Amino acid sequence: MRRSRWHGLWLGLTPALFIAGMAVLPMLRLMWFGASEPSPLGTESGGFLSGWLAIWSDSYLRERIVWSLTQAGVSTVLAVLLGVPVAWVMARLEFWGRQWLMQTLMLPFVVPTLVAAMGVLAWWGPRGLVGQFFEWDDRGSAWLLIAGNLFFNLCLIVRAAVAGFESQSAARLAVARTLGATPWRAFWRVELPHATPAILSAMSLVFLYCLGGFGLALLLGGQAYATAEVVIYTLVAHELELVLASQLALWMLLFTGVAVALYAWLQMRVRAPLRGDRVRRYRPNVKSLTTWLMLVGVWMVCLCIGLAPLVAIFTKAALASSVAWSEALSGETAAAIWNTTRFSATALVLATVLGVSHAIVGRRYWWWRMWGMLPLMISPVMVAFGLILLVPQWLDSWLILVCAYALLAMPLVVQPVAQALDSLPRAWGDAALSLGASPWRVWWRVTMPLIAPAIRRGVAFAMATMVGEFAMTLFLSRPEWTTLTTLIYQHLGRAGRLNIDSAWVLSAILLSVTLVLFWLLDGRRWHAVGTPEFDDRSPHA
Amino acid sequence: MRRHFLLTTALVGLLFQPLFAGAADARTTLRVVTHSSFDLPKDLIATFEAEKKVTLRLIKAGDAGEMLNKLILSKETPIADVVFGIDNAMLPRARREGLLQPLPAETAALSLSPNVSDVDPQASAASDWLPIDFGYVTINIDKAWFAENKLALPTSLDQLAEPEYAKLLVVENPATSSTGLAFLTATVQAKGESAWTWWRALRAGGVKVSNSWSDAYYKDFTRNGGSRPMVVSYLTSPAAEVFYSDKPVNVSPTANLNLPGGVYAQIEGLSLLTGGAKDAATRQAAVDFMLFMRSAAVQKALQTTMWMWPASATVAREPVMTFAGKAPTARAVDAAVLDRDARNWVRRFNQEVVR
Amino acid sequence: MLECQHLTKTFQGVTLLDNVNWQWPATGRFATSAVGGERPGVQVVALLGASGAGKTSLLRLIAGLDHASAGCVRWDGQDLSKVPPERRGFALMFQDFALFPHLNVQDNVAFGLREQGQSRAAARATASQALARMGLGDFTQRAVTALSGGEQQRVALARALVTQPRLFLLDEPFSSLDTDLRTQLRSGFLNDLQANWDGTASGISRVLLVTHDEAEAREMASHAWRLSAGALVSLW
Repeated sequence: MRRSRWHGLWLGLTPALFIAGMAVLPMLRLMWFGASEPSPLGTESGGFLSGWLAIWSDSYLRERIVWSLTQAGVSTVLAVLLGVPVAWVMARLEFWGRQWLMQTLMLPFVVPTLVAAMGVLAWWGPRGLVGQFFEWDDRGSAWLLIAGNLFFNLCLIVRAAVAGFESQSAARLAVARTLGATPWRAFWRVELPHATPAILSAMSLVFLYCLGGFGLALLLGGQAYATAEVVIYTLVAHELELVLASQLALWMLLFTGVAVALYAWLQMRVRAPLRGDRVRRYRPNVKSLTTWLMLVGVWMVCLCIGLAPLVAIFTKAALASSVAWSEALSGETAAAIWNTTRFSATALVLATVLGVSHAIVGRRYWWWRMWGMLPLMISPVMVAFGLILLVPQWLDSWLILVCAYALLAMPLVVQPVAQALDSLPRAWGDAALSLGASPWRVWWRVTMPLIAPAIRRGVAFAMATMVGEFAMTLFLSRPEWTTLTTLIYQHLGRAGRLNIDSAWVLSAILLSVTLVLFWLLDGRRWHAVGTPEFDDRSPHA
Repeated sequence: MRRHFLLTTALVGLLFQPLFAGAADARTTLRVVTHSSFDLPKDLIATFEAEKKVTLRLIKAGDAGEMLNKLILSKETPIADVVFGIDNAMLPRARREGLLQPLPAETAALSLSPNVSDVDPQASAASDWLPIDFGYVTINIDKAWFAENKLALPTSLDQLAEPEYAKLLVVENPATSSTGLAFLTATVQAKGESAWTWWRALRAGGVKVSNSWSDAYYKDFTRNGGSRPMVVSYLTSPAAEVFYSDKPVNVSPTANLNLPGGVYAQIEGLSLLTGGAKDAATRQAAVDFMLFMRSAAVQKALQTTMWMWPASATVAREPVMTFAGKAPTARAVDAAVLDRDARNWVRRFNQEVVR
Repeated sequence: MLECQHLTKTFQGVTLLDNVNWQWPATGRFATSAVGGERPGVQVVALLGASGAGKTSLLRLIAGLDHASAGCVRWDGQDLSKVPPERRGFALMFQDFALFPHLNVQDNVAFGLREQGQSRAAARATASQALARMGLGDFTQRAVTALSGGEQQRVALARALVTQPRLFLLDEPFSSLDTDLRTQLRSGFLNDLQANWDGTASGISRVLLVTHDEAEAREMASHAWRLSAGALVSLW
């Protein structure tokens, strides 16, 4: 017993140390750098605090921070306003195409951020299929970024609200009706309060994701609507103002920390789903105008926000000239695909091993689980920046990039595996032991096969995340490490119609590759995506 | 089971791929990092590679300012052996960051055109930087637009800052673009401290700031479908317009607006990066490349691909360059001043004009 | 009184109710049963049948939560087909009492009053009075999850009583409880209803009890029907 405990300790320590080394150390270095170097904004004599606070008094930087918070807030509110009604219709009504619509709504889970940004541009942007009919000025529009945020996060709200509504006790609803509540009053006074904890928890997660998102903000916000993350990148890559950037990062860390704490607290209050006594879905009265309005509304929201950007990318790619196609399928692209493949594959192995180890060990300690979720909460821009400061002498080793990828992908493996292990009854393991199997054999012959689907699910999401990784690759990029995502960004940066068209083509290729990979790895169980068991998908693709 | 075995082997193979890659190659690879506007005829490069048994890896790293930033960020693990595109305004900064190695002895024999050494004697005398080409940064105007809108051209920098002209201008950000830095340096050189009042006036008037020369020229210039008929560009760009036009023309569609204080002499150079070209073969390749870039063939060819004038004393200018007009008088700023102040100017620009 | 005319309900191909015609027994007598004795002010009618026979469907039809395939439900001759559940005045009670967990005891009881248009203050005042009458006056601010089974039942009853329903519909209210609690709750329920009676004919509490336990029906109900194969058969 003691020996296996010791093995367990090592098994668990490695992933924890990995997270500490890859995430916490760079952040600490970044914070130390920001705290110890004199700021160009602060006074000569003033210490760290004066320089740090000076950021708030600099009108431009303050505006950027306020905008970051605003766009996250607006996106969250809009997601709730759109998502809760959609979720109610999905949870209560039975209509043609409902299942398909639910699955389509969950599609953004596997779409890389860069592709999502390109999709929003392809649909809503100045040259977009729908956007070309709007008026645009030089600076773009704030709504592009909000649309991008909605694309990614609407499904989170819908999923949480559906779970909340589906777990409603039918008895309570019936009682409310007989006590005199009209259907609307019953919704407002009974159904909504019941679903509120789940919705609030999802809202805080959405806020967190919107606040820390980089790829979307870079492409859709541009310079006029730059969020703080984009400004940090600009300060580092374009102006080399490392001190200013790190102090701005500290500010954002503060806000992100508050959001994380809020999410953790809210998550604890989410009630476990009821067993039995569920409200059954019903076929609505097709002759009623209200029904038609509801159904049309739901279809419009799901398609326009969720599916349209993806369709738009394929359309744009198909409409691109053959010159653009040949440009896109050049040697440069082949090299980028090779890079994406080798980085993702190697990181996948690393993330799987570390993730499964972490999930096995110490499941019962909530702080252990939080530690495993840490990479999801931190900003990859700050981690990459911290790495640049911490280990500049190792920045030409591709192992650093692979480790960074593995860091981002780890929680996606840990989550489903931990949940699968949670729901595994102890009785089976005990039965196997009593039948003569050693603990290792029990693990190999009983536990592993049973959690294999969860591992597959985790691996599929990890793969989708890494193929689409953008923020860290951009920051740590060396010319020989160009991946498909940074290649798209490069094409966007070069002027000329040809380059934009090539960017559409490459985005379509990246999207197809991601979808195909996900399908190969775990496609057969697509219907289970977005169900309450799996709190999956990384915000940092 | 077999499927898992194959998958595992494949992944393990991927893990050890770096060990197997790079099988012994007779050629040395020379990594050259350049700005995005670097362009030479392919056959010239191919001839060089074949003759010297070198594989040239050209790494384009954005506009020159962006490239410099990347080099500084990665200076402990340099991304290339040789860098092309650092200009005389950026040179002090590159030196201060310790990016440059002394030039190899073989380059000392190359002769420099007096046009170059007159304009910037300090840079020309550098021992860690080899001038390759030079040109003048100035304002280009779209003749058709001005004719159509019946607007007279501004005649001084001060007139340029008036709202009716400021909103027609696009400049580049000196943090990322060497063109932008050159123009900013020229204005500060001419106006001194009041340059900042002038820039603020420009900003209030509606000047656009672009991140790179190619963005400004190919996206924002009215000639290419943009909204600004005045762009900070090069003296030779009108010549390029003639060269590239579909039908033969006698007169360039664009013209230079050489305002006093709005012109800067820019020299681009080639350097060895600290930490690059470590082994003898690569070092020899670097020397060969430097001599190649100053060879007559390249000095002639770069005029019509990169649109700069040759730094070499022995190569004549191409005939099409007459469309660029006469070279204006402009002298470069003292290196010590640049060393001390350039970074602050860039910082101030970003604070006062961009943000 | 309650009346079902030609009531038919099919669901997913299964006929749960087949042309049911039924009337509330017009005996004018109070609840009596072999064991419980006379309880003034309370009339209990039992509906028996095996699980899944359709008893709950009939209850839901009466309450207005489902629509019949054919036929209608009437009250005092008025066809209730177009009347939504919130306006029928039938109180529904379940075995898990279905108290709202996000409201405290007082607000639970005040729920129906607020739906009738009363202000929050007025509703709460009435609710407190009703709770005090049932001996639960100290419980007003408590969370419903902190109550015992018996207390929860009384709060659920108070919640229904304050809306002055015309009919109580009980859906297997005591079936999954253990014997001791079941007996306690059964008699407690009837006692509370009886104590609530103000002595007038209009104050009589009418209870339609759905259960599969015949002994329970015998103890509580003065009349009983059995629902099997979609038809109602009178038992006593």
